[in-house]
Amino acid sequence: MKLSIFRFNPERDKRPYMQDYEVEIGPHDRMLLDVILRIRAQDDSLTIRKSCREGVCGSDAININGRNGLACITPVGGLREPVVLRPLPSFPVIRDLVVDMTQFFAQYHSIKPYVINDEPAPEKERLQSPEDRAKLDGLYECILCACCTSQCPSSWWNPDKFVGPAGLLQAYRFIIDSRDRATQERLDDLNDAYRLFRCRTIMNCTEVCPKGLAPSRAIEKIRLMMVKNSL
Amino acid sequence: MRKAVTGLRAWLVQRVSAIYMLFFIVFLLVHFLVDPPNSYLAWHDWALSRGVSIAASVFWVALFAHAWVGVRDVIMDYVHPIAARVFALALLGLGLVGAGAWVARILWLGRG
Repeated sequence: MKLSIFRFNPERDKRPYMQDYEVEIGPHDRMLLDVILRIRAQDDSLTIRKSCREGVCGSDAININGRNGLACITPVGGLREPVVLRPLPSFPVIRDLVVDMTQFFAQYHSIKPYVINDEPAPEKERLQSPEDRAKLDGLYECILCACCTSQCPSSWWNPDKFVGPAGLLQAYRFIIDSRDRATQERLDDLNDAYRLFRCRTIMNCTEVCPKGLAPSRAIEKIRLMMVKNSL
Repeated sequence: MRKAVTGLRAWLVQRVSAIYMLFFIVFLLVHFLVDPPNSYLAWHDWALSRGVSIAASVFWVALFAHAWVGVRDVIMDYVHPIAARVFALALLGLGLVGAGAWVARILWLGRG
């Protein structure tokens, strides 16, 4: 299999460059990450982040042939060669395929990703009806891999001001949570020119989400909730 | 900031204006298909009748509001230096006010 991989070592290289590799795929190499690890066995200077190897941790999000995805759950079978691998677009590169996600997580933390409820805590736990629990489906599964935010043009132009699709999906996850009591504060926090409304419904986020989630739908629901509350 | 046309307000302005413009354009198309004017004078009288003038004025206001929000968003995305942004927004505002004055002159001041 032929691959062309983005290389940049800030201690050694002045500019990034693409390096070509050719590897023999082994009988058990099903996913792209298997192939990258095979390359690493030949060239241990190649840097990539990975952990769970099964699409749960979100560490190995990279740009694969122009489209963001998780290397560990991308089958090698359907990939056009040479497979072009780049770090997540618009994120600062630390080295090779590893990017700095500081700003991404700062935006995530800005939406207060935890249940806010000042009412006295019950003896055991805050209960939720099955219907209310079902509202969290399609939201809680986000693994914060940043595939969506990194592929979103609105995030490219205003990464410091626009929360981004991943953060907004999480915001809706807490807005709609029946146990949360800060719904209005959360909506007010997002109601400015940038934090939510930079979204131009381009929908790259929903297109590339490796977990099949729909941040654009969550964003739409937040907007409709704002409209309802303002009437 | 909450009073300014930003966030939800701007988003609503764009949606509501788009819906109005869509209905107005459909109304024009249907009118010209069903009951086309047979002369320039007939068209002129119809266009300057009170109801159509008011509907057309609302259409232009909707268009200018829609354009203001839309182009302002593009400027906010691409023009980051404050001076350049203020200049671009001022240019846009002047252009829209000028176009609005022109529309008002045609629709309301040019009646003979």
